[in-house]
Amino acid sequence: MSWAAHDLEPYAIQKHMRLKVAFVPLLIGSYSPDMMTKWFVYGIHLGPWELKASDPAQFHRGWPGFGFTHSLVYGVAIGLIIWKVFGSKLWGVSFCIGQFAHAITDAGDTVGTMLLFPWTFHFHIDAWAYAGQTGRMTDAAAYFSGLGCMWDLVFIVYGLYSWRVLTSRYFDEVIYRADAFWPWLNRFVPRGALVVLYRAAFFYGTSRWIAWTIWAHVIHHYPYDLSWGGPHWVPAAHP
Amino acid sequence: MRLRLSFDRPSRRDLTVFGGYCLAAAVYIAFGVAWIDFLFSFWVGLGYLLAAAWLVPSLVRRQA
Repeated sequence: MSWAAHDLEPYAIQKHMRLKVAFVPLLIGSYSPDMMTKWFVYGIHLGPWELKASDPAQFHRGWPGFGFTHSLVYGVAIGLIIWKVFGSKLWGVSFCIGQFAHAITDAGDTVGTMLLFPWTFHFHIDAWAYAGQTGRMTDAAAYFSGLGCMWDLVFIVYGLYSWRVLTSRYFDEVIYRADAFWPWLNRFVPRGALVVLYRAAFFYGTSRWIAWTIWAHVIHHYPYDLSWGGPHWVPAAHP
Repeated sequence: MRLRLSFDRPSRRDLTVFGGYCLAAAVYIAFGVAWIDFLFSFWVGLGYLLAAAWLVPSLVRRQA
């Protein structure tokens, strides 16, 4: 799984598609596959009870399980619902593109994704270890020690290289004009706050990437292992 | 023929805005490393950024 790429990819997509996409559904699409499942993968405590999937990787990416949320057909289905039920083709298509980006990126780890569900074959290139089953902290340590975090870094660097996408002028000329959501929100929220909202996911993804890297390698000294499929000091899950 | 590279350089105002976000990020990262739970929620990050990059600067400008 990825820790920051899903925050950052929408800005790279936005740079190339400009007025053809709406940013908010693009971002929601990018987050959507994990929205309902991540808490149950890592587990939560409710008083004396711990709620956690017995097989987190199977629950998260498999079938039976919620792995269909990481398939292309899921993105198309939700995109069509948005288009036909809520009447916005732009939102439907944008959601779909964001969801595709998430599903394809997560095929980079050792569990991969069922991209062509209902065919339950997992597409995975094994670049970094899937360690969600080890719990949130070990997963973070492993992710920020392997190639997964380097993939995130690509999007941070690309976002900074494409810095104009983050400017208020770009917001006014492209983001605001492309989607009626922003003028609607502008009735309640000042324009300055809208620009901040637009930049939030990039800020969140980049800051979190730096913070987790410091936590993993300065505070806790987990070893980097940038070999293919690493880090190998964590037990990686497989489909 | 001479090849000239042109760089899309940010203006002074762009750099000032970027500097403000870097400052906000430094504080966010410091909090996050000290209290790791701070890093988990997108909504906490969003609320923090709205306060640091819009609300506080707006209030300061109003006071000035």
